[in-house]
Amino acid sequence: MERKNFLRSLVIGAISTPVILEACKKSSTTSSIGTTTTPTGGSSTASCSVAPTETEGPFPTHTPSSYVRSDITDGKTGYKLTAKIVIGNSNNNCNPLANAIVDIWHCDAEGNYSEYGGSGMQATNYQSVHFLRGRQTTDTNGLVTFTSIFPGWYSGRATHIHVHVYNAAGTSLKVTQIAFPEGTSSAVAAVNGYSKGMSGYTYNKSDNVFSDDSSGIEIATVTGSTTAGFVLNMQISVPA
Amino acid sequence: MEKRIITLCYRKIIDINCTKAWDKLVFEDSYQEFKLQAQFYNQDKKYNTFSELIYNVKGSEKLHFLVSGAIIDYLRQLNDVIPEIANNIGKPFLTFKQFKFEIINSDLRNIDKHVIAINFYSEPLIWHDTIASYLLTSPLTATEGDMLTDMFAIQPFLTIHSIK
Repeated sequence: MERKNFLRSLVIGAISTPVILEACKKSSTTSSIGTTTTPTGGSSTASCSVAPTETEGPFPTHTPSSYVRSDITDGKTGYKLTAKIVIGNSNNNCNPLANAIVDIWHCDAEGNYSEYGGSGMQATNYQSVHFLRGRQTTDTNGLVTFTSIFPGWYSGRATHIHVHVYNAAGTSLKVTQIAFPEGTSSAVAAVNGYSKGMSGYTYNKSDNVFSDDSSGIEIATVTGSTTAGFVLNMQISVPA
Repeated sequence: MEKRIITLCYRKIIDINCTKAWDKLVFEDSYQEFKLQAQFYNQDKKYNTFSELIYNVKGSEKLHFLVSGAIIDYLRQLNDVIPEIANNIGKPFLTFKQFKFEIINSDLRNIDKHVIAINFYSEPLIWHDTIASYLLTSPLTATEGDMLTDMFAIQPFLTIHSIK
């Protein structure tokens, strides 16, 4: 286990244990009323109301961020895309960087990102709110693998995947984007912009992020087909 | 009175002083996620606080949404039940599917400054009547006839969110 996570788990353990004891104590003295912790903003003399007196549970357990998952599809439909990203250390001959945290996010087949709708930050159903966003930690080969769908596109941008690489301690090492190859036999051509088509599409040479990438260093290798699904391979080197 | 359909909102504030296990987990994990996600909007490391980011960096309001990813699985652990709000016999009775997570304050240098809110929006209720200071309600899914009801008082941080 990585040292920081290990220390963290100790901290969580230390927090949880006394509370578990407290919970056990409560369940064995069910006749006492009002032992429940006062909630934040709960009852006060100004507004007297009955505090909850139910069996506690299920007991909260520490869970990682919901981003930590390999399959980020969340029910979004589209052509399957397996993204294999290798993180190298540019301060070490680009050799694989293990234990790096890699966040990726991209838009759905219609070109929309998961986010609170509109500018008003309205309520959202918690079941599927962070679609097409994920986080993995690199293995000893520097590799992370995500299962997703081939991204759609939106006005002004070529097809792309956002990537944020952190070291094991969570310090940002690189914010970048992955571009897709173009041309007659490319995946971008095969997907053909899903239902939008390619009218008005911004190609890499006109894209305000990728247009200065004359050597194609930001362009991934993408193989496969719409029926078999696509596989994206990308090496990203970061200073670690 | 005429029956009306309402939803309630419970705004739960969580800060460094919270002592319940669930609150502490949500507090700590949302802070860690804030420290990760804030770096995207702070690539020159110019800012330390959430409010500095909000006032100076375009798009940083997405941090509310982005940080909420850290607490979704804690919401799942609630099994759709809004915590802490009880009816007048002391039982939790409000269910939810909708929520809104807010960062109220935070500071990359100091977890003590981290304050968040989770707004829980209840599933619809039928508001039958008001007896003294208590609302008499049933879940919208309750069948006609001998309807089971809940009585509860509107208390601080609990409000009627919508009505029809």
